[in-house]
Amino acid sequence: MNWRKWNRWIHRELGFLFFGMTIIYGISGIALNHSVARHWNPGIISHSSSIQYPETLQKADVDRSTIESILELTKEKENYKQYYFPDENHLMIYLKGGHIMVNMETGSIQLTKVRNRPVFRELNYLHYNKPKKLWTWFSDLYAFGLVLIAVSGLFLIKGKKGISGRGGVLTIIGILIPLALLIIYLWL
Amino acid sequence: MQRLFIWVIMAFLAVSCNQSVKKEGVSPEAVQTEEIVSASIVELLASPADYQDKEVAVSGMVTHVCRHGGQKCFIVADDGETQIRIVPAGDIDEFDIALEGSTIAFKGVFRVLNTLETEVLEEDYESKEHHVVEQSHSGAEKAEYFVEAVDFKEVTP
Repeated sequence: MNWRKWNRWIHRELGFLFFGMTIIYGISGIALNHSVARHWNPGIISHSSSIQYPETLQKADVDRSTIESILELTKEKENYKQYYFPDENHLMIYLKGGHIMVNMETGSIQLTKVRNRPVFRELNYLHYNKPKKLWTWFSDLYAFGLVLIAVSGLFLIKGKKGISGRGGVLTIIGILIPLALLIIYLWL
Repeated sequence: MQRLFIWVIMAFLAVSCNQSVKKEGVSPEAVQTEEIVSASIVELLASPADYQDKEVAVSGMVTHVCRHGGQKCFIVADDGETQIRIVPAGDIDEFDIALEGSTIAFKGVFRVLNTLETEVLEEDYESKEHHVVEQSHSGAEKAEYFVEAVDFKEVTP
């Protein structure tokens, strides 16, 4: 068997073997990109709703009965944890699975419920290498395999569509784009 | 047979890389036996030099857990205002958002950044889009003082 056949074999076999890993890192990579760029956590789902308290509040007058009336209004009595005042005008009530922010000046209540986002939470857990142990071993193997897949991919096709033709041009473009962005954002 | 040989070579390389990582992971800090000093948040911030780089035990209600990977959280002192930043260290990878509103006792090392490190921290803080609106924990988020927590437990009454 000549080297091109070996090359094709490596590319094909590793491609099959690491299909699942590529999907895991690809999807979680997009999610993590956007979690850095925006105030968005792909691991959790946050849902907010607004309710109006019948009156405005003064910090000095807030006591356990005030908290209980707010909890009854929001139907969150069984989830109550603790409360505190982030500033002079706001009251924060912590709940199991969320919180209630009260604007004491206006009496507006914002109830925020938080829960884990299925799938993304698990993918991020793997992407951040939280499991460690065997996952480190397998993801290292994947990273090494990815390099082999990339290099072997360059030499799959001969001729005009291969590395000596259009393929080579695309390869150079694919190297120059991240390099140009690196220069623009890091050094200029 | 030749294919099997290639698989064996690749597996060997991967295992070799992993072993070198494990060796580097052994830290002399793991055998640290320094005495743990119990202190309140206000005490820590009143005389940081007395506690700098010492192992401390500190507790308070968690007011906020960073939504970007849980890489910091904030606890508030009994005065209801003074807050301190806690960052995960040791075996703690991140703080769960479920800690918010719970009173937590942390064990860790009290750190004080130098002037240059504080400037870098402030620059990083200002560069984050979600830091446009000041929060009650914002002061603690860019403060030079923080605790590197290696252990914690819930003590909510």
